[in-house]
Amino acid sequence: MTSMRHEDLGPADALEELRRAEARMETPPHVEAAVLAAWDMAHAPGMASRRRTFWRDAAAVAAALTIAAGLAQLGQHLQRATQGANAQSENSRTLLLVGEPILQGEPVRMVRMRVPASTLAGLGVRPATGTRGEHIDVDVIVGEDGVARAIRVGR
Amino acid sequence: MRDATRATDGDLADADLMRRTAAGDREAFTALYHRHHAMVYRFARLMTGCNSAAEDIVQEVFLVVMRDAARYDPARAALSSYLYGVARHHTRRRLARERQFVTFDGGCADATQHVTQDDVNATLQRRRTLQRLRRAILSLPRRYREVIVLCDLQDVSYNDAAVAIGCAVGTIRSRLHRARNLLSQKMGSAISSDEDNQRLSERCAV
Repeated sequence: MTSMRHEDLGPADALEELRRAEARMETPPHVEAAVLAAWDMAHAPGMASRRRTFWRDAAAVAAALTIAAGLAQLGQHLQRATQGANAQSENSRTLLLVGEPILQGEPVRMVRMRVPASTLAGLGVRPATGTRGEHIDVDVIVGEDGVARAIRVGR
Repeated sequence: MRDATRATDGDLADADLMRRTAAGDREAFTALYHRHHAMVYRFARLMTGCNSAAEDIVQEVFLVVMRDAARYDPARAALSSYLYGVARHHTRRRLARERQFVTFDGGCADATQHVTQDDVNATLQRRRTLQRLRRAILSLPRRYREVIVLCDLQDVSYNDAAVAIGCAVGTIRSRLHRARNLLSQKMGSAISSDEDNQRLSERCAV
């Protein structure tokens, strides 16, 4: 600790003191984990095509189910079913597994981060409220080794 | 200012690391992060007065690096200036979006850990002075705050600050002079005497 009398700090000295104090500040480690998780999300080999395939199949199944429901249920019954599905969709969250599975009892940390919707689109996820260029909040689940295990996309 | 462009981690310059990052090299991206995260974090922290906002801005800056590394042209600006420019952009957006920020929380580094009894009063006084100074800086108009943060607190040269902000070097000088005068008034003392200005300017001279 410096031995100077701080009550005598002049403004220029105060700026210098502040500069020295700030020079010791470091970014918290969880920020690096989040940044590298974003990198891994964007560069996961085969992830984009796999997810795209999955969502294309899922979309096809959903379409088939919708048609079947349309044929089976008419009038008010169909309308109620549609409303129910919409409500469920608005509240649902998507969980993407991007690395090694989470072991039972493994300590994990969740990091909330904001990513471009286009990054999620690269993973085959289209957030309900997201459009290209918009940023979406996601929860990245990071294992003890700092590697992302899963990504939760909300709303 | 430390010349991060020529700083080497494994003898690779920033431009090389950016090229490799653009090609999908995770190690290069990690090296870039390790080399530059602190300056981005400190800049954002001083500009917003909020640790969590600064953390978000660091993430956003490095998402831009990840996405746009191929667009970076080392002939136009040093990477540090480029990163300051990106951080400044995101800081301005953040400040515009959220008008109110909390003041620095208990995690500030000036909380000295090795305090002896004799120094308690002096330490408390010092912390109060620094807290007042932080508040005074946060209350400056943004264009003045950023030159104080860059030139007086981050040791960025006038030239690099001009590139980061996108204005002439003369503008940096005049804003800095005005900013120090404003700080002087807010701190209620002769912060910007000629001697003080001379001392501060010597560190950031072009």
